[in-house]
Amino acid sequence: MIDHRKHFWLGVRDFLPLVSGVLPFGLIAGATGVSLGMSPEMVLGMTVLFFAGSAQLAAYSLIQDNAPFVIILVTAVVVNLRFAIYSATFAPLLGPLKKRYRFPMAYMLSDQVYGLCSMPEQLQKSKHEQVWYIAGVSIAMALSWLISVVLGVVLGAGIPPGWSLEFTIPLAFLAMLVSTISNRLLLMVAMISGATIVLLQWLPYNFGFIVAVTAGVTGGAVLPNLLKMRGASHD
Amino acid sequence: MTSTDVNNLSMTNTELWLLFFAVGLGTFLVRLSFIQLHGSAEALIRRSKPILMMLPPAILAALCIPAILFTRPLTDYQLNYDQIIAAIVTILITRFSKSVFWPVVGGMLCLWALRWLNIT
Repeated sequence: MIDHRKHFWLGVRDFLPLVSGVLPFGLIAGATGVSLGMSPEMVLGMTVLFFAGSAQLAAYSLIQDNAPFVIILVTAVVVNLRFAIYSATFAPLLGPLKKRYRFPMAYMLSDQVYGLCSMPEQLQKSKHEQVWYIAGVSIAMALSWLISVVLGVVLGAGIPPGWSLEFTIPLAFLAMLVSTISNRLLLMVAMISGATIVLLQWLPYNFGFIVAVTAGVTGGAVLPNLLKMRGASHD
Repeated sequence: MTSTDVNNLSMTNTELWLLFFAVGLGTFLVRLSFIQLHGSAEALIRRSKPILMMLPPAILAALCIPAILFTRPLTDYQLNYDQIIAAIVTILITRFSKSVFWPVVGGMLCLWALRWLNIT
């Protein structure tokens, strides 16, 4: 029992420095929801159901653009497809758990949990120790996310619309974009996707979004091989 | 404000709740996917990883670039120079700060300053 607790609290402790990143993001998510005219209950319900900040911000901007239901649904789930990577990473640890532990642990998977728990020094620990560590990080993350959004809802009600608080959404996405571009291939993917959506802005129902993401990923999958073939034929 | 349909959005509150439940369910299934399939999907995991890694930059670029370049409604292609300069400031700050917070704060301060000075 003592052993469980040690690894659980180690996870909580390692998470604490990340609060500085979670808190402002939660404040933005809470305040923006209120500024769009949603009731506090709706913003909090959305937060609990999504448990995913970037999908929540993406949904806000599409709701604001009056995009249709299906487009918002598909977009939000596509934004969350990165969780499949995390699910695959932790499958050997969380897969064998009983359903009543497996489901909540899956629900709480997030960028922060992945970042902390996939570090090399964690992977050297025993499975048992890793599971308790993941539980500590996940619960600390879930609590700080919910508290931050509640604070955002409370503060957001007092911010006047003239401040254009909604512009924090594209800026937050831009900052995340810069940090995800870790190599030339990913820069190319982002450029193809960005150029496609600008060209397709006139398409109704934000249909351009799905086309742009598909074009970016397809370009990223196909172009490196094409360039290699051309390079080889020059030799 | 009462909790019935008092918002300035085109969707009713019932539609919004339905949307949130649908996204919540979809997101949970994505998170559960490989954990649930554990033991039977190793090959699928290895094959889909390179594609999944390309999704974040593709999605984030599509989400932010039009909203930064153009004034709403975005379909008018009306360039907004205040927003573009604020975005450049945000990109510059990301070089010094790993969190999302400071780049956003810097970009917003820049946007407010430009509007107040009324230069562009």
